[in-house]
Amino acid sequence: MSTSAVNNRRVIGGLRQWFNPERTPRVGQPPDYRFSLANERTFLAWIRTGLALIAGGLACAQFLPPLPIVHLREFIAVALLVLGGIVALRAVDHWARTERAMRTGADLPASRFPAILAIVVALGALLLVVAVLLRAMP
Amino acid sequence: MTSEWTPDHGASAERTRLAWRRTGLSATAVALLAARPAFAPPAGTGFALIAGAAMAGWAALIALAYRRSRGLKAQPPLPGRRTIAAYASITVGFAVLGGLVVLL
Repeated sequence: MSTSAVNNRRVIGGLRQWFNPERTPRVGQPPDYRFSLANERTFLAWIRTGLALIAGGLACAQFLPPLPIVHLREFIAVALLVLGGIVALRAVDHWARTERAMRTGADLPASRFPAILAIVVALGALLLVVAVLLRAMP
Repeated sequence: MTSEWTPDHGASAERTRLAWRRTGLSATAVALLAARPAFAPPAGTGFALIAGAAMAGWAALIALAYRRSRGLKAQPPLPGRRTIAAYASITVGFAVLGGLVVLL
């Protein structure tokens, strides 16, 4: 089997796992339901983060005046929307992997995503600070 | 599966139900923002369609959360599965709708 076929299979398996972490693969034991619910609340907190980013993007597109740089407003809005979408996708992926780890008794999946998101948000904020300062100068 | 129901002093089912509700409120704000351009004066058919899609997505999210909170009432609570992936997919759909709002 070629590498790409293996990769495809892995991607499809991952997608199926999103929709039913218990059935595919049918592994391990159901964990204490309280742990499952905690995992679910973590998922929901990430979804809210994603929704907040999407709301930010929509608000930028509708309430910001046109900015001095062409299409900067649209760029900021789309960047926020894309970030929100990524956060939502990653939320369900992380939820499924955590659920699976709890069923098999493995370590919970580690993730660099929170750090990356924090850096991206900080860089975005920094860019906006620079933009505001440039604008404040005569 | 032989999990006995033990009284849950941490109220995790209730906290989870409230987390679904909070998320629904965030989704409401997003849906309203996506529908808003349809009510501005020069709105075309595109914005009206986007507003319709946003309202439909919002209704689907609320229905999913409602179904999930019924599952949470069972003792022990049923695990959430497809509801979760469906909820995330619709959230991504809102991001796409937002992109259309920006680009139209």
